[in-house]
Amino acid sequence: MSGTHGTEKTAGPVLGTSTDTVPPEATSATGTPGDKADAIAAVTRVARAALPANGLITDPTELRTYECDGLAHYRVTPALVVLPETTEQVAAVVRACAEHGVPFVARGSGTGLSGGALPRADGILVVTSRMRAIREVRAADQRAVVEPGVINLDVTRAATPEGYYYAPDPSSQQICSVGGNLAENSGGAHCLKYGFTSNHVLGTDLVTPQGDVVQLGGLAPDAPGYDLLGTVVGSEGTLGIATTAIVRLVRLPEEVRTLLVGFRSTDDAGAATSAIISAGIVPAAIEMMDALAIEAAEAAVHCNYPDGAGAVLVIELDGAAVEVEHEYEQVERLCREHGSFEQRLAIDAAERALIWKGRKSAFAAVGRISPDYIVQDGVIPRTALPEVLRAIADLSSSSGVRVANVFHAGDGNLHPLVLFDGEKEGAGEAAEEVSGAILDLCISHGGSITGEHGVGTDKAAYMPRMFTDEDLDTMQLVRCAFDPDNISNPGKVFPTPRLCGEVPGKRKKPHPLVEAGLADAF
Amino acid sequence: MAQPTRVQSDEPQSDPRKAGAQAHGPVPIGSPTARPAFDDEHPPSAELISDCVHCGFCLPTCPTYTLWGEEMDSPRGRIDLMKAGLQGAPMTDSMVQHFDACLGCMACVTACPSGVQYDKLIEATRVQVERHHTRSPGDRAMRAAIFALFPYKRRLRALRGPLRAYQASGLPKVVRRSGLLDRLAPKLAAMEGLAPVLEKREKLPERVPAVGQRRAVVGMLTGCVQGEFFPGVNAATARVLAAEGCDVVIPRRQGCCGALSVHNGRQEEAERFARSTIDSFEAAGVDTVVVNAAGCGSSMKEYAEVLADDPAYAERARAFVAKVRDVSEYLAELGSVAPRHPLEVTIAYHDACHLGHAQGIRQQPRALLREIPGLQLKEIPEAEICCGSAGIWNVLNPEPARELGDRKARNIASTGATLLVTANPGCLMQVSSSLERQGTRMGLAHTIEVLDASIRGLPLSTLGPQ
Amino acid sequence: MTTLTRLDAAREALRSACGDVADATPADAVDGVPAALVARPASTAETAEVLRAAAAHQLTVVPRGRGTKLTWGRPPESADLVLDTSRMSQVLDHAAGDLIVDTQAGALLSDVQTTVGSAGQRLALDEPVPGSSVGGMLATNASGPGRVAVGTARDLLIGVTVVRADGVVAKAGGRVVKNVAGYDLGKLVIGSFGTLVVVTEAVFRLHPEPTARGFVTVPFGTAEEASRLVQTVMNAQLVPAAVEVDWRADGAGTFGVLLEGTPAGVEGRTAAAVRLLGTGAEAAGQPPHGWGVPPWDDDAPDGPRPTALKLTCALSGLGPVLGSLRRAATGAGVPVALRGSGGAGVQYATLPGSAPVDAVATVVTQARAVCTEHGGSLVVLDGSPETKAGVDTWGPVPAIDLMRRVKEQFDPERRLAPGRFVGGI
Repeated sequence: MSGTHGTEKTAGPVLGTSTDTVPPEATSATGTPGDKADAIAAVTRVARAALPANGLITDPTELRTYECDGLAHYRVTPALVVLPETTEQVAAVVRACAEHGVPFVARGSGTGLSGGALPRADGILVVTSRMRAIREVRAADQRAVVEPGVINLDVTRAATPEGYYYAPDPSSQQICSVGGNLAENSGGAHCLKYGFTSNHVLGTDLVTPQGDVVQLGGLAPDAPGYDLLGTVVGSEGTLGIATTAIVRLVRLPEEVRTLLVGFRSTDDAGAATSAIISAGIVPAAIEMMDALAIEAAEAAVHCNYPDGAGAVLVIELDGAAVEVEHEYEQVERLCREHGSFEQRLAIDAAERALIWKGRKSAFAAVGRISPDYIVQDGVIPRTALPEVLRAIADLSSSSGVRVANVFHAGDGNLHPLVLFDGEKEGAGEAAEEVSGAILDLCISHGGSITGEHGVGTDKAAYMPRMFTDEDLDTMQLVRCAFDPDNISNPGKVFPTPRLCGEVPGKRKKPHPLVEAGLADAF
Repeated sequence: MAQPTRVQSDEPQSDPRKAGAQAHGPVPIGSPTARPAFDDEHPPSAELISDCVHCGFCLPTCPTYTLWGEEMDSPRGRIDLMKAGLQGAPMTDSMVQHFDACLGCMACVTACPSGVQYDKLIEATRVQVERHHTRSPGDRAMRAAIFALFPYKRRLRALRGPLRAYQASGLPKVVRRSGLLDRLAPKLAAMEGLAPVLEKREKLPERVPAVGQRRAVVGMLTGCVQGEFFPGVNAATARVLAAEGCDVVIPRRQGCCGALSVHNGRQEEAERFARSTIDSFEAAGVDTVVVNAAGCGSSMKEYAEVLADDPAYAERARAFVAKVRDVSEYLAELGSVAPRHPLEVTIAYHDACHLGHAQGIRQQPRALLREIPGLQLKEIPEAEICCGSAGIWNVLNPEPARELGDRKARNIASTGATLLVTANPGCLMQVSSSLERQGTRMGLAHTIEVLDASIRGLPLSTLGPQ
Repeated sequence: MTTLTRLDAAREALRSACGDVADATPADAVDGVPAALVARPASTAETAEVLRAAAAHQLTVVPRGRGTKLTWGRPPESADLVLDTSRMSQVLDHAAGDLIVDTQAGALLSDVQTTVGSAGQRLALDEPVPGSSVGGMLATNASGPGRVAVGTARDLLIGVTVVRADGVVAKAGGRVVKNVAGYDLGKLVIGSFGTLVVVTEAVFRLHPEPTARGFVTVPFGTAEEASRLVQTVMNAQLVPAAVEVDWRADGAGTFGVLLEGTPAGVEGRTAAAVRLLGTGAEAAGQPPHGWGVPPWDDDAPDGPRPTALKLTCALSGLGPVLGSLRRAATGAGVPVALRGSGGAGVQYATLPGSAPVDAVATVVTQARAVCTEHGGSLVVLDGSPETKAGVDTWGPVPAIDLMRRVKEQFDPERRLAPGRFVGGI
């Protein structure tokens, strides 16, 4: 990993100058500076004509507020920010970018944790925060049609009166946008049972990197042709900009039970998790936090988790009341059998909200117990959980770097928070080393380098550890089909761009048998 | 979408490579000879700025981000601007515009999981803005008028009643010529229509004795807007405190607490008001200072910071702060003894930003209201978002303030309540005109007026239209 | 040079690549298009060798699993080589604790189910056409009643190993359910009818097998009734595992709900469903007749292949879609039977093989317009060669240009199942 996350910290009044890392790719330009400036000026003229007057940001000081997303370590000031309000405006800007070879980066609420929306100094940042209309809540179709800047939780708020909700719930759901979720294939606590964004986005209007608007998917499932939508979701903005999302609405469950369970150790909590899954129960969510993470959450939101817990599980069961009752009895028993010392069932919505608040605020809350930290996102097979947690503990004790663990235990998605103090010499490097070693652990256990935060800028360099050159090359065939000029969020996901002119295999030419007049012989 | 016109340069940065470099080095943006935005006297703290991890949890609660959807009008964006200022960027008009646009509602402080003290940051920034930024003549005139009017009870008195606004010959010239009265008039008119039936102005005595056994001796701040436009609130506060066993001391010499000045970076003025308020209550010899206006209470709790550099007052300010209580906070601490009569009413309780976000007082007023038999309490959707009043913000930014007020009014109406209850005069004034505009007739009352009506067994009609 | 020597050269190259290469028989023809050679590689590596040899000799290649749906889609333009995956039939790894299974693409879906079933788990994919291989099911994106609760292959496939037309082996996804590293090529491959790559290995997430199942059925007679029943159930708190509409050619319909869970839970929900569905509703422990079987399988196997249609629409469009198909068929003088997942908005329908082509074309055109109006599509999955030649099988495809560009990147020489897919891809 090329850099640290979390807070920057320096002693003096001049902040964040020495530790900032910018991928060279993000600032290097292939053309001369003059050409680039001309090209950006040309796109700016088009944008000025196409967008409302307040839809462009060119003031250098104002542009700085867009220099990073939720991963504040990487910072690049964009050349221009546009705030379009319609698909047509997005398409006009993208067409101009295509015409002048100017890269563009799409950004929703700017809460991503992998630097996926890191701007380009020589590019345009297309911010969808003003495309925030929920166009339709179609309860009879179990769908909503929304614009990309709509905040995730607002979809649920709009659907709740009809008895429905939007299931994917990243921890940042109160602010992250549906467009950003779509780009990152965001997960969340409840994807254990309900799946990820890709399972819940059924259609989109995509502005292609050429500036064309194409409809992928729709209200109905199984649209004929390749499932391009399935590939676009999670492509981190490298295949175009989604300007509409048709999302699935899920019936609000008849019964929800949220259980907070205290354990003495993560081993016990992990064993309880395995026991629950082995019993054939698929809870809506099983979340684990260790002692350090609990300490941070308590400091931030006073969530009142069990005293003296070495780990807590937040377990949520939902569905038909009679099934939930049955599952609850089993879960309660299995937790007890695996050493829980306190179980608390949320009695009302407020208590339930507080339990979740502790969990969902955990990342940012770690700022309360450590000046700096790295939020890691890796996945392991759930059965490897005890082993990997022990290995992380070993890493931590041998390096002296503290690691707080917050994770989606049900699906093995770890979020170790690697704590350090940037003012101490070498602390940042030591933390990065631990953070990288954790990813290696994930890979060696057959897992993934990212479960939900995305590859973005942060982990592109890690992709070759998980995938072969051939794997990456094959993925980039899709990129070449969508964006042969490499202008849609370039530099993200893939460590090295594929030259799209290089068609695999032999050059396309007439079949020799056709040439020989024998084409139909076989 | 109402939005202040943005200061725009005609072309983007000419050299993108240079632009990138600028973002990463300490090189000031813009002309290298320009003066940095902040001086060394209490600039926004680099330490506090570094607490921000850029997670964005503040965005949905920020009224201006909600309105305009852009980073520089969000808490984390403003923190970025402060950081740019600390790194040497000059205080440009656009930078100031974004600082000015902040309502100071502090919803972001509540929302922030990292505990960023944005309140401290923005107040420090505002002092710097006042010191280093030259405002346009129109803006200067408006601000001068506001600060020549609001902190002065006698001048405010000239505005009472629906027609007085136009007959305010007794006001200073700076106020009459600023256009301020035209901005205030519609709000005042709306409020007159919706606010509780104005009782005859009761002249409060300097001491209101406890009913029954005395449990405490408390001082009471009467405030400027509260005292002039909502005198019934002060009277009710005194009655309720007395009914709960308090001797209530109301120093005659008290003036403005300085809330508007504190929240607008007018450092010297703020210090002056703070010192004089401390003097008044010290002289009264009370253990507790009870405040019924959320904005006043929150700034009085900040006196220690306001007077930190004043050797004569720093210690006294700290002692004073320890005594300040919002009236609902105090009553909840004290516990009720006066019997409540039933009020069959459905109310929507609105958290004033300076009570909820700034003072963290949310449960106490609700608990007090729930003690009233027959009273149904409804929560307002998007409760965390400011109504747009924000001290003088609605006067300086009438259009966006109206959007926020209308949004709040829609949310209030959606509760189906017939009475709106809150703890700040500014909120009542702001929301009243929006409710009026959307044709919702409902009563408006301060929490303490509802308690007063219940304790005295008064009918609902005293709390305005039902 | 003669054709024969070309074939000999190709055969020889293939034989050095793969231990099992044979000349094709008439039974190897793909939807009426005769094949020349059949290669049956035993591994991903061998598949890569075969595809490299095929590339070197410019052979068109049609991947085949167990050949149960080889006539779906359009007939390929040519099929020099049938790449048969049936020797790659191993269920490689069932990690029960992780609820995943890793299987070769040629494995029978039923074998996968047997393996994972031993641990009380299941791959929650129906097998509408018995005898399907995993790869064939992925290539055609076949689905059945269970899609209401857990979705389709795209919701369950978490990792895939593929071999490209140029013989390059690539993986995407992995062995963990939650994973956003890199592009999700699995989704791209699902339903691609063998025109992009050859899938050799797939990893799926599994679900626990429920301990109890119960069915509730109620008869219906009109499209509106069927639609109303679907809305009632979908909007209730029954958490159905399947919501099926079966509307036979004679106009009699059966609406069916499957409930899965614990014995006590299923009992309670079954009772609730019976109450909800009203007069005529009955509970049963066994599925009703035809459950999960495509309606064309009801017809006698001899005679020309019946026309198989797949209709999709937004849920609220179900009534109009069912109604329009029935009216169009009646108007054209042909019987139509419908069956499918009312709860997912996906219906299968069949017209007899004996129906005149122009009658089929009329029905397709009319019903397709209504499907499109309600956000969906109508695809002619299968039919006699004459029917396929006489109707627009795939219908309009909005992003067809982009799809062509994808095909162009993966298979620039158009050698994988050319012409089988949308827009002649």
